[in-house]
Amino acid sequence: MTDHQDPPVRLKGVGDSLWVTVDSSLPSERIYEEITKIFDRLKHLAINAKVVIDTGDQDDSDQLVEELSGFLKSKFQVGHVFKAQSRKHTHDIPDERGPDASETGVVTQNDSLIIAGRVRSGQTIEARKHLVILGDLNPGAEAVAGGDILVLGSLQGKAAAGQPDNINAIVMALEFKPTQIQIAGFVVAGNPRMVGSVPEFAHIENDQIVVNDYMKANPFKRMNWPEER
Amino acid sequence: MDGKVIVVTSGKGGVGKTTVTASIGAALALQGKRVAVVDMDIGLRNLDVVMGLENRIVFNIVDIIQGKCKLKQAAIKDRRIDNLYLIPASQSHEKNVIKPENMVWLCSKMKKEFDFTLLDCPAGIEQGFKNSIAAADQAIVVCTPEVSSVRDADRVIGLLYARNITPKLIINRIVPKMVESGDMLSHDDIIEVLSIDLVGLVEMDDKVVVSTNTGTPLIMQKDSKAGNAFQRIAMRLDGHPDLPIENPMDQKGFWKRISKKFSRKN
Ligand SMILES: Nc1ncnc2c1ncn2[C@@H]1O[C@H](COP(=O)(O)OP(=O)(O)OP(=O)(O)O)[C@@H](O)[C@H]1O
Ligand SMILES: [Mg+2]
Repeated sequence: MTDHQDPPVRLKGVGDSLWVTVDSSLPSERIYEEITKIFDRLKHLAINAKVVIDTGDQDDSDQLVEELSGFLKSKFQVGHVFKAQSRKHTHDIPDERGPDASETGVVTQNDSLIIAGRVRSGQTIEARKHLVILGDLNPGAEAVAGGDILVLGSLQGKAAAGQPDNINAIVMALEFKPTQIQIAGFVVAGNPRMVGSVPEFAHIENDQIVVNDYMKANPFKRMNWPEER
Repeated sequence: MDGKVIVVTSGKGGVGKTTVTASIGAALALQGKRVAVVDMDIGLRNLDVVMGLENRIVFNIVDIIQGKCKLKQAAIKDRRIDNLYLIPASQSHEKNVIKPENMVWLCSKMKKEFDFTLLDCPAGIEQGFKNSIAAADQAIVVCTPEVSSVRDADRVIGLLYARNITPKLIINRIVPKMVESGDMLSHDDIIEVLSIDLVGLVEMDDKVVVSTNTGTPLIMQKDSKAGNAFQRIAMRLDGHPDLPIENPMDQKGFWKRISKKFSRKN
C-alpha cells in the first residue's frame, strides 16, 4: 500500500446512505469543487439519496454541513442530509431495517470468506477481505468486502468491494448484471442493458469504475509472477 | 394424526394472499378435508368478506387468545362448503395484541381439529408476519409477475428459510399475452431468481372479482381458469405432489412438467 494523503472528499455507500467524508480544514471552494465532481459521477443515484456528511471530530462544522446540505439538495436533488454523529461511527450507521436484516445475513470476522448458496433480497454478506460467492446474488441483496468480490454465478444485487478505500479491488461475476457497484469510494449504477453473457469484472481505471470482459481484459494474466492478493 | 398449518404470505400487498387462502381452503374442504382458514390481518380483516361470511362474525381470533371464547365458538362454518371454517380477524384491536407464542398455542389446538389450517398473512414483514410464521409447518409464497413483487417474495423466502421453513411458490395474476409480448416477466424468469419449488401458476381472471363481490367460492365456478388452477394446487398440497403444472403460456393446453426442472430437494 502506498502512503498517500486522504483525498479532501470521499464517498462511500453505507447501508442505504451515501457517506461523505469531508476534510473541513480545507477552504470551502475546494470542498465544493470535490463534492461536485463526485456527485456528478453519481448521476441519478444521488436523487433522493440519504446523505451523511462526516467532518471528522470538528464540532464547529455545523454551518458547513448545513450549507452543503442546501447545496446537495438543490444541485443534485438528494433526499435527506445528516451530520455524522461521531468519528467512531464512521463505518456503522444505525440499521433502520431492524433486526430482520441481520438475522438472515451472514457476517464474518475472518479475513476472506467463501460462501455457497443464494443470497436473497434484504440479506447482506460482509467479508473483511475477499469474498467469494458460489451461487447467485439476487436483486436487493448486498455483498460488502474489504477486498475483491467474486461471484461464481449471477450477480444481480449490489456489490461493494475494496471498502473503505482499496482502489485495487475488483468485482467479478460469471453473469454480471449488478444493480450497483462500489469500489473504494467510487459508485456506479448497474445498467439494465448489461447482458451478462460473458464473465466480466469491474475495476478502477483513471478514477472511474470500468467494466470489462474478464477473459479478454483479465489484468492478472500479464503478471509474470503470482502474488498473494 | 395432527393436521398441517400452512401460512400464505408474500411481503408485498395486494398480490392475492386472501384469494389464494380462500380458494385453496375451499378446494381442500371439497376434497373432503377438515379445513380452517384464519385471517391474520388484525385491524384490516377481509377474508370474511371474500368468503361472504361477514355477517356471521360474533367472536374473533383475539377473543380466542384472550380466553373470551372457545375455538369452536369463533370458527364460522362456510355457507356452502361443509368442513370449511373461518376464524376471523379482529377489526378493532391493535395488531400487537397477538404474540408469536399465542399463535403457537392456538395452532397446536387447531391441528387437533383440522387437517389443514391456512393462515392468511398480512402484507409486510412486521408483527402480523412474525405471528403468522411462528407456528407454521409449511409456507406458500404468492407473487405476481412484477419486479417489486418478486423482490419482496425473495425477502420473505429468506426469512422463512431462516426459520427452517421451506416455502413453495404460487405465481398469480399471469397475463399470457403480456408475457408473450415481453411486457411481463415469465414464470421462468421468476423461478430463476427465487429458486424454490413451484406449486402453481394462476392466470389473471375476471371471475376472481365476481367471486369476491358475490361471496361465491371461485373454485365452484366451473369455467374459471384461476379456479381450476387453485383446485389443482389444492391437490398438489394434499396427496398429489406430482400433478403436472399447467403452463398458461401453452395456449393449446398441453400440460408440461415444469416443476421438476427447478425443484431442489432439501
Ligand atoms: N388471479 C387473479 N385474477 C384477477 N384478479 C385477482 C387475481 N388474484 C387476485 N386478484 C384481485 O387482486 C386484488 C388483491 O387480491 P387479494 O386481496 O387476494 O390480495 P392480498 O395479497 O390478500 O392483499 P392484502 O395484502 O391487501 O391482504 C383483489 O381485488 C383480487 O380480487
Ligand atoms: Mg389479504
